[in-house]
Amino acid sequence: MSDKDDSETPVTTEVTPILGDGNCEPAKNSKSFDQSTEPGSKSGPVASTRKRPEARCSNDPKAAEVLPVQASQAAGKEPVSKEVPQTGWGYWGSWGKSLLSSASATVATVGQGISNVIEKAETSLGIPSPSEISTQVQYASEVRDAGRNNILCVSGPFGIFSTISTAVQSTGKSVISGGLDALEFIGKKTMDVIAEGDPGYKKTKGLMNRNSTLSQVLREAKKKEELWTSSEVTMETDKKTHYGLLFDEFQGLSHLEALEMLSRESEIKVKSILNSLSGQELETLKLELEQLKEAFSLAEFCEEEEEEKKGDEDFTKEITDLFSSLRISSRKVTGVKARNTAYEWIGTSLTKPLAEKEEGEKYLEVESTEQVNKNSIEDIHAFAIRSLAELTACSIELFHKTAALVLHGQKQEVTAVERSRTLSQVTVVLCKELSVLSKEFTTCLTTAGVKENADVLNPLITAVFLEASNSASYIQDAFQLLLPMLEISLIESKTESPQNLEGQRRFDL
Amino acid sequence: MEAIWLYQFRLIVIGDSTVGKSCLIRRFTEGRFAQVSDPTVGVDFFSRLVEIEPGKRIKLQIWDTAGQERFRSITRAYYRNSVGGLLLFDITNRRSFQNVHEWLEETKVHVQPYQIVFVLVGHKCDLDTQRQVTRHEAEKLAAAYGMKYIETSARDAINVEKAFTDLTRDIYELVKRGEITIQEGWEGVKSGFVPNVVHSSEEVVKSERRCLC
Repeated sequence: MSDKDDSETPVTTEVTPILGDGNCEPAKNSKSFDQSTEPGSKSGPVASTRKRPEARCSNDPKAAEVLPVQASQAAGKEPVSKEVPQTGWGYWGSWGKSLLSSASATVATVGQGISNVIEKAETSLGIPSPSEISTQVQYASEVRDAGRNNILCVSGPFGIFSTISTAVQSTGKSVISGGLDALEFIGKKTMDVIAEGDPGYKKTKGLMNRNSTLSQVLREAKKKEELWTSSEVTMETDKKTHYGLLFDEFQGLSHLEALEMLSRESEIKVKSILNSLSGQELETLKLELEQLKEAFSLAEFCEEEEEEKKGDEDFTKEITDLFSSLRISSRKVTGVKARNTAYEWIGTSLTKPLAEKEEGEKYLEVESTEQVNKNSIEDIHAFAIRSLAELTACSIELFHKTAALVLHGQKQEVTAVERSRTLSQVTVVLCKELSVLSKEFTTCLTTAGVKENADVLNPLITAVFLEASNSASYIQDAFQLLLPMLEISLIESKTESPQNLEGQRRFDL
Repeated sequence: MEAIWLYQFRLIVIGDSTVGKSCLIRRFTEGRFAQVSDPTVGVDFFSRLVEIEPGKRIKLQIWDTAGQERFRSITRAYYRNSVGGLLLFDITNRRSFQNVHEWLEETKVHVQPYQIVFVLVGHKCDLDTQRQVTRHEAEKLAAAYGMKYIETSARDAINVEKAFTDLTRDIYELVKRGEITIQEGWEGVKSGFVPNVVHSSEEVVKSERRCLC
């Protein structure tokens, strides 16, 4: 969208490791993180080399809670500011605008008192303690001026906040005269959006907000790892555990680079198309593009707790089904193979100690069994990192191929919005798979390393979780890169064959 | 030791659809021949190390492009960042040979301001009985464009190794003579990393000798 640029500018990015981000599992292990950086441990360099830049700010739910209060407070007591900073989700902005324009020029009667309004609004939003609210209100009015700045600060990376608050601000007057419904609605919507959860829009925004591209981040990581490997003269054994090097070996970097290239080109194309349109045509298209964008905010990732590990076929079937609904050949789904290999390996390495034991009894080779176990935790770790790198590289490849096919595939049988939803599902499935896989590997590690010192075992476990979490982030970021291609596909399907499209839509629905 | 190389060259493989680009690359990088091969979507990536002189390795990053016309706009974008290329035609398919001109014209337009060192490859030379393009005319065409000509077969593993290593050596010579230089923002040639302790196999040999003394 044309207004995406604006949302990109006020970004404060900071390099932070992304824990429990998108993937709820690794958060548990955050405590043991510091241990992993100890010099002696193998995972040290792995953990420290690659940090993914992440948009800062507003993980804090309180900020989100306070925000509408501050906003409405400001709206009540201050003149409505019309300079709407159009950031991010233009949908909100335009929605707010239309509300504003539909409202008559009625002067605000602050008869009910702003705190009343807030209280009511807050109750309807289901915020528990009234006393807490009143302190917030007090706080809000006290630091109102500063608060406004705060709003801007908070909204920086998340365009939505500022647009919501602007919407609230701009509608403030009419809201109070016209009843509380609108405010309630805004509030509810706000909460819904916020409640949609971190993964959703952190991911949506995460990538766009960064100054460097994902492949740059990974390339730098790879370089560092190369340097590290070479300076340590450790060679083969250590290379095995370097995620970045392995990711490149599986051509993940190249596919990512190619995907970024397509994404950039498509983005430019979309912008120029939007610039060439005007009036009704533009509005309709914008609306449709917004729908597409919505499909790109991911479903929640942390709700899979109850699912546990499903059967082997499920992942394969799910992915294949999803791709067949994309009308993209599932033969391209290389990730399935990589993932199955990983499971086979886990299967054998889990049963191995048992078999070893039985044989040990037969042949009384106690020493060699210990040797096997000793080797195996490093082996498991190496294999885990390798599998994660491979699965991630395959996923990126999958997205790259999807992008090429979306842009230059056969005639469309599926709408862009449907494709987006399906791809969003694919992303979720892949990330879940990573999470399950990392759990399997750590179980493996724990089992194999019962006799090991925690100082040896924990960093390895942490590294697996960390890489799994990073992998999930890369996949989600790569998914976001697909948006411009689907926008193109949507525009093309509209302009090239309007009649056909209607027919197809009906057919597909 | 795998990770040590002097340079990384990016090579692009182009030519008509179904001339056997992916099969040639797979033979070179994976050492096997796939009887059935799906048409390439957009672009695929492969890599392999090549030892051009004892202890001197070059990492080849090979970009396998789709021959299908519909992906042309994607594949065009990759010419610019390649230092070398294999231009394939199928010796049993005259049309694919006639299209060599077009391929060269297209690359010329899109590679600016850089240059690609091309080798012309007559592929599927195991199917000599079905040959539609003589070696002589192919060599003539190659010479006209200043290219080398080589005939290969992925199925029977004929000249596959040679096609890639000869091209790599030619590029390496140009790099050594300074006619091709590493440039910021250009992915064609990149210097590899040389570990600071073990420099090359010569040094390894030296140190071993020292140990013997």
